Amino acid sequence: MLWIERQRYFIDFALSSLMRRWRKNIALVIVYTLVVFILASIVFFTQAIKREACTVLEGSPDIIVQRLVAGRQDLIPARYADELRKITGVSEVRGRLWAYYFDPASSANYTVISTERPGRDEGCVLMGQGVARSMHAGKGDLIAIRGHDGSYQSFEVKDTFSSGSELVSADLIEMSGKDFRGLFGIQEAYFTDITMKVRNAQERTVVSRKVLNILPDTRPILRDEILRTYETAFAWRSGILLIIFTGSILAFLIFAWDKATSLSIEEKREIGILKAIGWDTGEVIVLKSWEGLIISLSSFLAGIIFAYIHVFFASSTIFEPVLKGWAVVYPRFRLVPSIDPYQITTLLFLTVLPYTIATIIPSWIASAIEPDSAMRL
Amino acid sequence: MIKLTNVTKVFNKNRPNEFTAVRNVDLEISGSSITVFKGPSGSGKTTLLSLIGCMTKPTTGRIYIREEEISSLSDRFLTDIRRKTFGFIFQGLNLIRGITALENVMLPGYPTGETNCILRGKAIHLLASLNIAHKAESKVELLSGGEAQRIAIARALINEPAIIIADEPTAHLDTRLSIDFMDNMEKLKNSGKKILLASHDPLVYASEIVDRIIEMRDGLITKEQA
Amino acid sequence: MIIDPAVIALFTGSFLVSLIILIASWLGLQIVMFWNLQCGSEKQLELEKWTYLVSTLMAYAFGFEILSLFLFVYTTDSLHNLFIGAMCAAGTLNTGTFGYHTLGIKILILILAGVWLVMNHVDGQAGDYPLIRKKYIFLLVIAPLVLLEGFLQSAYFLSLKADVITSCCGSLFSSSQTYGESPLSLMIGFPAGYLQAAFYGSAFLSSGLGFFYYRGFNKLGWFFTISSTGFFLISVFSLISFVSLYFYELPTHHCPFCILQREYYFIGYLLYGMLFGGVISGAGAGILSPFRKIGSLQGPLPIVQRRLTMTSLFLNFFFVAIVTWQMWHSNLVIDR
Repeated sequence: MLWIERQRYFIDFALSSLMRRWRKNIALVIVYTLVVFILASIVFFTQAIKREACTVLEGSPDIIVQRLVAGRQDLIPARYADELRKITGVSEVRGRLWAYYFDPASSANYTVISTERPGRDEGCVLMGQGVARSMHAGKGDLIAIRGHDGSYQSFEVKDTFSSGSELVSADLIEMSGKDFRGLFGIQEAYFTDITMKVRNAQERTVVSRKVLNILPDTRPILRDEILRTYETAFAWRSGILLIIFTGSILAFLIFAWDKATSLSIEEKREIGILKAIGWDTGEVIVLKSWEGLIISLSSFLAGIIFAYIHVFFASSTIFEPVLKGWAVVYPRFRLVPSIDPYQITTLLFLTVLPYTIATIIPSWIASAIEPDSAMRL
Repeated sequence: MIKLTNVTKVFNKNRPNEFTAVRNVDLEISGSSITVFKGPSGSGKTTLLSLIGCMTKPTTGRIYIREEEISSLSDRFLTDIRRKTFGFIFQGLNLIRGITALENVMLPGYPTGETNCILRGKAIHLLASLNIAHKAESKVELLSGGEAQRIAIARALINEPAIIIADEPTAHLDTRLSIDFMDNMEKLKNSGKKILLASHDPLVYASEIVDRIIEMRDGLITKEQA
Repeated sequence: MIIDPAVIALFTGSFLVSLIILIASWLGLQIVMFWNLQCGSEKQLELEKWTYLVSTLMAYAFGFEILSLFLFVYTTDSLHNLFIGAMCAAGTLNTGTFGYHTLGIKILILILAGVWLVMNHVDGQAGDYPLIRKKYIFLLVIAPLVLLEGFLQSAYFLSLKADVITSCCGSLFSSSQTYGESPLSLMIGFPAGYLQAAFYGSAFLSSGLGFFYYRGFNKLGWFFTISSTGFFLISVFSLISFVSLYFYELPTHHCPFCILQREYYFIGYLLYGMLFGGVISGAGAGILSPFRKIGSLQGPLPIVQRRLTMTSLFLNFFFVAIVTWQMWHSNLVIDR
């Protein structure tokens, strides 16, 4: 209890002493907040986009089989699917049709896929929000797509995808299989690739080994691998960004060190008085630590909150181009807000830890002022 | 109660600016009394008071406070003795600007962890006994010299010390306030406190309430009169 | 090498903690060599001021070591996606070199730093710094461990290589990496029956010793240190070998990290927190007992020791209670 009472006094006094010198501290808090804001934006953004990618891939097939001809991907014959069905442990095999389509009018690349969903009307398409925006098309409009023979075919936009999973569906145009084959000139006997479902997760590697044995000219890709590749890519990008910002962290630390070492005469006088009227060196260090902690926590909190707003509500306006860096079709999307203690600890290590360490020695120097210095003022 | 044997304090030893502030002082002070250290500036009065007040340790020699030898105690213990035994009044008063008079008075009590309402009550009581309670919530930079002096006295008394140490307390006071100050010291003496003053102000050392005058020069005790 | 914000954070952390430990031990070395409280020289006054700095540095280092252990486990856990066959932190640690070594040394440092702070606290209770040389020599033992930790951790993260798709090939070629046997599997192989007996036996022994030590049988000090440490080690073994099974309610899942997850209500943090608190206070209480003879510690030391012993007993008791309760109420039935 005695301990708590003492800490309350120290916190009170630390607060009032910070307020008395707010001019000196405000600059520090602003810079500190800015540093936390930048780093937190990077960390939040990568984490969220990683999560988004995971969610997306959740629904994707366990194994994708592509055919390679002379080291390049080629159309895969439909009969391959029958071969694949014979492998034990495989629960579903399906041929897929998808393509990239460059639209000269909006000068953007779209992904065109076909689905064999029942009720998919010929002559109609579904499209993502991104496509709708860049083509200036909405529900009920007609769009024209240039086919393999140079002629344009028009489709009616039946609907657009909901904006919930916009990151993936943004550049998507979905049409029926017949339209797709007609548009891109692909014969009935071929697919772009083949997808497989394997019920037992541990058998996937074995199954893909078998695929290679049966069909030596194919390349099986596991979903886990795609996930892993995405994750590494995002972690790498944000890591590199952080390293780039090391310079600004260092600058901030030098600034903080300078602020902590350059005590004004008034501050020195106050510490001398405290020492003289019966405060111990350790107690002055505690007081100084509270001052540091108050500055750290308020800046950290402010930085985190701003970053949270920036990433999850303002679509990371500042870092979007660097971190996403994919196509031009992704102008707007909202990430699902998520934050965990792991990110917070990471950020603490990158900001509060260096700040604290940079200020330990200056605050010790301040607290070691001789008590009898107050007698000599 | 206070005993010094052969105490010497050297600053900047073995350096060109070496300086012996106090040399070979033997001294004993007991009972509730007022002792004045008199001498020109630089004579070692302040250093001697800070040695007695556990603010700094002697280079050689021993200091005993209540039979306890303090020169080989840890910093933390020394501070503990200091805040339980001594109350300090400084030449420049040394109040902390920007906070209220009441907070200034309470400040030495913070590290003891005394509960806020007890500490506050004690501070208000002290201010009242010094007739300054009406200024409790004023910022100290807005107080007059005499008011500030009384706040400083109240602050020195908050931890109920047995010994009051005051260094040139009247240096910035006019005659009336100096007499006022000595009256307050007399009250404290009568309440059983031991008072050590350093001063070269005749209003202080010639006062009839003073029990003992110790003259100092160049770090040595040159003359004593009771 | 994996570049990830958390990995960079861990690098930064271990670099900075190493830095402050180096400063602390350099100051400590000076203090060990030149300390003389009887002398009022300026050098001595300077050294005395340094003790405050060292205490502050160590307190911060201890705090950051706790966070760093948390972040390390969490990072390895979140990286498991990158490696084929790794299901959680256990798998990631087994990937690359020195994973478990890093974890082990982090735990060791945490315990030692905790004991150091206990010692430092006791030293501050006496007026004449009776333990000053001993505690700074102890600090000089901890310092190389912290540097070693930094080295092992760097080596570990540098050795990690994610199993990613390369442009030329798909899955099969990337799974060619082979890893050694996890130290966990050795613990799992231990017959659970014996371990269960050892777990309750050591809990009983340790609490018995603690009780008598608390009641004033000072000779038991070292035994209490050894029994608390022993209980800690056996508990960790037990947690992996059989206790975890009751939490996961799966007969083959032995992971010591999954209980830190949300699915298990973060119970792991409570359990590990109690284990660490128990071993630090228990070992600290016992190690201090030889110093009772020192004059200035005769007053304050027994009070501190009794508090520490009490803390250790309480924490260990609740640990055993929670574990036992879980074993009792778990839906898992193990046939023997």
